[in-house]
Parts: sequence; C-alpha cells; structure tokens
Amino acid sequence: METTDLNLFVRTSEESISGWDRSKIVDALIRETLIDRDTAGEISKEVEQMIRKSGIQVITAPLIRELVNARLIEKGLENSRKMHTRLGMPLYDVDSLILHPNKENANVPHGPEATNLTLAEGIKKEYALLSVFSQEVADAHMNGDIHLHDLGFVDRPYCSGQSLEYIKKFGLDLPHSLSMAKPAKHPEVLLAHLVKFAAALQSHFAGAIGWDAINIFFAPYVEGMSDNDVKQLAQMLIFEFSQQAVARGGQAIFTDINIYWEIPKHFVNVPAIGPGGKFTGKTYGEYEKEAQRFAWKLFEVYKEGDGAGRPFFFPKPIVHITEKFFHTDGHMDFLNLISDVASDKGNTYYVFDRGETAKISECCRLSFKLEESDLLDAKEPWRMRYCALQNVSLNLPRLAYMAKNDDTRLFNLITERFLLAVRAHKEKRAFMEKLLSLGENGPLALLTMNRDGMPYLRFNHASHLIGMVGLNEMVQIHTGEEMHVSKKALKFGIKAIAHMNLLTDHMRRQENMKIVLEQTPAESTSYRFARLDLRYFSPHSGRIMKGDIASGEVYYTNSTHLNVKQAMNPIERVTTEGLFHPLIEAGSISHVWLGEAQPSKEAIADFVIKTFKHTTNDQIAFSPEFTTCNKCHRTGRGLADACSYCGSTDVDGITRITGYFTKVSSWNKGKLGELKDRYRNVEYFSEKRKAANE
Amino acid sequence: MPFKAPDCPAVKGFIETSFVDWKGNLSSVLFLGGCNFRCPYCHNKDLVLNPAGFEDVPIEYIAATLRKYKNWVDKIVITGGEPTLHMSLFGLIGFLKTEGMKVKLDTNGSNPSVLKGLVSEGLIDCVAMDVKGPLDRYSRWCGINVDERKISESIEFIQGCGIDYQFRMTVVPFFHREEDVYAVARHLEGAKDFVIQTFRPDVTLNRAFSRIRPFSPQKMEQIRKNVSGIMSAGSARQQDDQRRFSVIGPNNDGDMDNLYT
Repeated sequence: METTDLNLFVRTSEESISGWDRSKIVDALIRETLIDRDTAGEISKEVEQMIRKSGIQVITAPLIRELVNARLIEKGLENSRKMHTRLGMPLYDVDSLILHPNKENANVPHGPEATNLTLAEGIKKEYALLSVFSQEVADAHMNGDIHLHDLGFVDRPYCSGQSLEYIKKFGLDLPHSLSMAKPAKHPEVLLAHLVKFAAALQSHFAGAIGWDAINIFFAPYVEGMSDNDVKQLAQMLIFEFSQQAVARGGQAIFTDINIYWEIPKHFVNVPAIGPGGKFTGKTYGEYEKEAQRFAWKLFEVYKEGDGAGRPFFFPKPIVHITEKFFHTDGHMDFLNLISDVASDKGNTYYVFDRGETAKISECCRLSFKLEESDLLDAKEPWRMRYCALQNVSLNLPRLAYMAKNDDTRLFNLITERFLLAVRAHKEKRAFMEKLLSLGENGPLALLTMNRDGMPYLRFNHASHLIGMVGLNEMVQIHTGEEMHVSKKALKFGIKAIAHMNLLTDHMRRQENMKIVLEQTPAESTSYRFARLDLRYFSPHSGRIMKGDIASGEVYYTNSTHLNVKQAMNPIERVTTEGLFHPLIEAGSISHVWLGEAQPSKEAIADFVIKTFKHTTNDQIAFSPEFTTCNKCHRTGRGLADACSYCGSTDVDGITRITGYFTKVSSWNKGKLGELKDRYRNVEYFSEKRKAANE
Repeated sequence: MPFKAPDCPAVKGFIETSFVDWKGNLSSVLFLGGCNFRCPYCHNKDLVLNPAGFEDVPIEYIAATLRKYKNWVDKIVITGGEPTLHMSLFGLIGFLKTEGMKVKLDTNGSNPSVLKGLVSEGLIDCVAMDVKGPLDRYSRWCGINVDERKISESIEFIQGCGIDYQFRMTVVPFFHREEDVYAVARHLEGAKDFVIQTFRPDVTLNRAFSRIRPFSPQKMEQIRKNVSGIMSAGSARQQDDQRRFSVIGPNNDGDMDNLYT
C-alpha cells in the first residue's frame, strides 16, 4: 500500500496541516528511541493500518504519537515508549487552569502570566519525573514518600542568598542583556539595580532571593542624605519589592532583606564600597550610624504599612539578634521599634545568632551558617553568594504507619528515605551540572557569568536541603502521644531528628556534598502528604490527621513544630520547639500566632531578649491577622467576615501562611484547616480574655 | 526551697505570662475575687458577683509556675475584682516578694488605708488605679454609694507616694460624656501617667451595656489628644489601643452629649 493512498491530513505541532507521511513515524522513532529501523517501520505500518480502518480524515500529531506508543507497549518496548512519550495536558485541565486560580502556592496570583507559569510548570514537572530523576525517586515523589519541591522549576537551583556588593562592584552587566550599566553612583540607581538584579535572579531560581546585611551595604550611599530622603529611599525599596507583581508568572519576588543594628564582626574591618563601585577608604565599621539610620527608616515604613494600612508581604525583614547587638548603642530603641512592627504588622523576623555563629537567612526559614571559608569571603563580600540546589522533604508520619511500633524498623525507614532524598539530590545535581556546563550560551547563562574569577553560582558551595513534615504525627502514631503531651514523646521526637542530623553528617562526608537539614515550610506539602496518606493508610491515618476530614481540610503539622492547636504558653512553645533547632542546621522558626491581639511592643521586646538568652530557639515571628476591605480600603485587626469600618462583606483576610503574609482566600485547603486550628494565645496577648483560666 | 503556703486570699485566676498587663515587660497576673463596686460596664462580672463559681488556683501551683518561669517573668500583677478587700493580701504579696517578684496592684482606690499600708511596708512596686469618672458623681459611675473623699485621698496618696503608678479610665459612650474625661484629666493634672482605655462590650455587668459600641479608633485618638493637652507637659500617655473595634451599625462619632442616657 502506498502512503499516498491514504487521503488523510495531519495537524502538526507546527500549526500547519500536512498530508499523511508514514516515514515521519519511522524518523521520530529512530531519532528519539533506541529501536532498530525494521521495528520502526513495522510499527509505522501498523499505525497506518489502524488509522486507515478508522476512516478518520484529520488526525493530530499527538494522537499519532500515542498510537505509536500503544504499539511500543504491545511489543514490550517499555523503555522506548518512555523515551518517545509526549508531555502535555488534557484540554479539560488547561481550560480550568485558564479560568480558575492556582491554589498550590499562595504567592501566585490568577492571570494570564500565572497560567503560563502553571502550564510550563506542569510540563517541566512531568519532564523532571520522567527524565531528570530515576524511576525510584520519581515514584517515591508520586506516591508521597518524599516530596521534591518545585519540580516545575527543575531546570533551576532552589534559592539564592547574596549581598548588594556584587552589583555595587560590577554594576548591572548581565549576559545577553540589551545594555550594560556601570556601578551605581546614586542610591536610587543602586536601588534600581538591586530590584532588577533580584528580578533576573528570580527567573533563574525557584524560590527565595535573599540579601545579606542590606542596611550596611546601602550605608555608604546614604551618607549625607537627610532623614527625609533616607525614609523616601526606604519606602521606594519596600514598595518596589512588594509591587513586583509583573515579574515571572505575575508572582512577587520572594525577597528577604537581612538587617543588622550593629556591624557584625565579620564586616567591621571590611573596606566599604561606595558610589561608582569605588572603595570609600573607610571600613563598614565606620558606617554604623548610617546603617542604623537606614534600618530605622525601613522599619518606619513597615510600621505604616501599604496604602491601605496592610502589612507588606515582601520583602521580608529579617533582623539578626547577636551578642554584639546588646552591646550596641540604641539597641533597645531599635528593638522596641521592630517589636512595634511585629505586634502591629507582623513583618519582623527575629533571627538569633548566638555565640560566634554568623548566618545569612532567606526563604521561609532557610538560613545558612557561615563557615570558616565563608568568613574569608566576607572580606570581599561580593563573593558571598550562596544557594541551595534543591529541597526534598520526607513524609515522616507515613514511616510510623509502616513501622508498626517497632523502633528499629522506624529508624531504619527514616534512614532509607533519607538515602533516597540524597539520591534525588545527586540526580538533580548532575542535571544542574549539565545545564551549567553549557556556560554563557546555555539556559543558565546568568549563573555562569564570571566577573570575579568564579561563576556567579559557586557550585561547590551549593547546599542540598532535606526537610521533614509531620514529626509530631510520626511521634503520635509511634508512641501514642503527641510531642506536647509528655516528655517521653518529646524526647522520642528529638531522637528522630538527632538521627537525621547524624545521617546528614555521615552522607555529607560520604558524598562530599553539602547536605543540610532544614524545617520544610510545607505550604502545600503537608496537605499533599496528608491527602495521600488518607488514601493509602486509612483508617489509621484518619485518626491521626489534623484538620477536618469531612471538608477535606487536612494537614500534618509542619516540620518539627508542636501541635498548632494546643493551648500553650508562648514561653513553653519557643523553648520546647527551640530544642530541635540546634539539630537543624539550615534554619528553623517558631511561630507565635497573635490573632487579633496587639501586645505591647515592650513586652514583645522583653520576650525576644529572653528567648535569645534562655532558649536555643533560632528564629521567631509573631503573626497577627487582618481583614482588609476592598470597598473602603481600610484594614482592621482579626479575621472577620465583614469590614469593621464600613460593614462591606467584600473583604480579604490576611495573615502569615508559612514564611510570609498573604491573602487567606488564596490558601490551599490544608492550610485553611491549619488556620482554623491555630491557637492564638489570646489570653496571653490581649486584654480580651476570661478573668479566670478555664 | 521547701514550700510553705502563706496565709492568703483565694486566687481565682492565674495567667503565667501576659504581654499586656505591665507596660514594658512580661508579667504574670493573679485575679482575686469579689468587688465592692458595681460598675455597670464591668467586664469581669462573674468574678465580681460570683467569685465562688471559680475554682481556686492553688498557691502551690502558682509558686511552682513562677519558679519555672523565673528567668522569663519577674513581675506579677494582682488584679480582681478589688484586691484590697482581702486583708490577707499582705500575706500573699509578702510571699510573692520573697519569691523575688516585683508586684503591681490594680485597685479602684476605695481603700486608701490598705494602699498606704502596702506602700509603707514596701510590698508593691507599682500601682494602677481606675478612675471611673469625675469625682462629684462617683456613685453613678461605680453603681454603689461611695465616699468620694476616699477616692480623692487615694489619688492624692498615689501621686505622692514615690512608687511607679498609673491612672486609667475606661470611656463608655452614652454613659460618659466626652467632657467627663476632661474633668478627670483636670483633676489628675500633674499626674505622670493617665491612660484612656476603650470600652469593650463583650460581657458587661449590666447587660444593657453590652449593646453599646465603643468609640472608633479615630475618636479615641482625638480624646487622647485633648486629654494630653490638659495634662501638664504631655504627661498623659497615649496608650496604643490593644483591641479591635467593631463599629457596626450607626457610627458613634457624633455629638454624644445629646445622646446622654
């Protein structure tokens, strides 16, 4: 039979319609798979015959491909079928994507850009699971044993932390950009460079973009400016970042700015870079007052909130509390100011750098302890560039269902999953290496640009994060008690994390990779694990699950946190949760949910000082709740169904989801379940309480 | 340290860590039952009318908790009800002082002699007195017949006693006139700390009062501004409002003098 016999037109993926040509099937099979020409020819004939029988007149290329795949399976050529597979989405899914908002990540708004992002993520996710990761790793992700974060961004590293010094020294000179800007001479220009560079980084990393010691590195530019002008600059910085909703996928850049009141020891004697990228002849230690002035103004802006009095969602201000902080003039005034912001707007994150540790923080709770080599870098701070390549989380409760109360089995399972996570990291690392090796002509050109003798992304410094979800439930299943219930249960939880800590150490040496534990923010992971465990481990999982099964608002407790619903003195919470923090190198956080209460700033400051002195807690944040009105544009405290000013029901609730503030309406079901449960410490923080304890 | 329970009044409530009761610090709070006043807008009515309905918090438990949080909390607020009604208050506070706590007393000022005793014994470090309204109509504000001279004696004593202090007034729309706040401010002129608090209608002693909506934050702001104008050299502190306001329905910002009920 001649191919031309077939009166058939094919809609190709190149938006054209061409006549039937059987040889195209053969070509594709030879090009994409490893089968021989004869088998390919045979398959093409079978497919042609089938199409012919059906009497169809116009056929799409994807359908032909699937018909070919069906033949490959029939012939037992599973491997070739995989290589020949097609990635894409059903019409129905695309339709609902375009029409309805994405609830997986509350930081993604709904719009054409967001839809693009989700569509692209969908295909890249499939690509990652088929082609970047081994079958074993991919399956473990699919069935919820582990979670590979940001698979839709598989072709980028996870997150990045750096300092302003790089753009101060080298200007904005990005590969393939249309113009090159020399180092900024004016503070406003530096700010513009900062924002643009952050946007460029956002399109090369999946997650957070963090800036170290931003007030210190801005200081040489701020010198001589009036207080009003400094405030204006602070305002520009915060608004620029919080309104960056025009970047990738319409997603605001997830930015953190690290702020110090003192000049940390590792920067005191570092020569300062000023306007024009030139050394000013002074050290950063001499810019303390200017750095403080800028920090102060930043928090004044946070205190005011946006045009509607709402808290700014980004950039997240992370204040480092160190030993030196307490020996620096004016620290109590500053502590009161940032605590006022914490109580009123909730923005402030307090990071505790005790003893000699120096840290850089980014992402929801990720922070890096600076090692010796990093402290050498600190002398030339533009070199300080850190990244995590990927984040993998373990589903801990599932291991407890499987271990059936056998300790040895449980710990063995933790080890197994941990090793699987390490394997996932090695696979991602190999893939990244491949992309980066293409250099300035490759997809990650920006990360390979070399301005100071090494590529922007310093691959050998890259970290690999391993996180955990639902330690509390794992302990509950295994010992019968949640961690807040008894010392015994708590100790068991600590033992499990200590085991993971040990594994980290071991694998780091064995694989010569920087593997670090972190507390998974688990914005959607805790919901995903919960749902999958309801499917695979019922009815046992139903009794353990937090949230409300009937409404589907189920979740596991995040990372190593204690039950969010449990009424607990905040001292108790930060102390107990803090016991885990020294075991989790890449950073942890304790949340204190305030609800509608607005405690006094001095009491918060007092609490913060004592948390620093008397606990091992690494980071705390206070989270108030707000209701903002879309009609009168005013913002009241507490989550309410109607505006407390004008009574309109066109309102949005705002509070912290995991590591950032966002509108509650965009939350996934799991987080909504958690929100309902959150114990809001009312009796500690507000005068609105019962006279006597119940 | 072995524990010997002091002779002390029944404690009806205990908050081990509060962020709002002692300006500037974390504090613990003890609630004592019973009160000699019947302020219609009181929001602790059960504690006032039916203290027996609350279980006693054992002093042993309180002592153990205070010791546990010693590093965190070294201040304690004694409130009520009206603490000065209990003569064994001296024993309780004495005990707290031996535990190393700084003590603040909340009072309505009806017992100046107890107050003087506590101060002269060095038992309290801070006192906060509620002034319910202008002194010339005091019985109206506090719902019982009261000797106004006692109130003014307390005010005078507190201002001169040398320990840290604070006067407070809760403003209830329709019950107080705006002018009443200013009258109190004039009476307290020279006092270093006068805090204007917003009324909370959640549960009130006189149920009718729970229907009163508090003033809007803007209105409160304005009243505080006027008060601090009256108090010499801006000695009235404007306490940041710590609650949410639900001004639902008619706005209360209008002239309330005509709405006097």
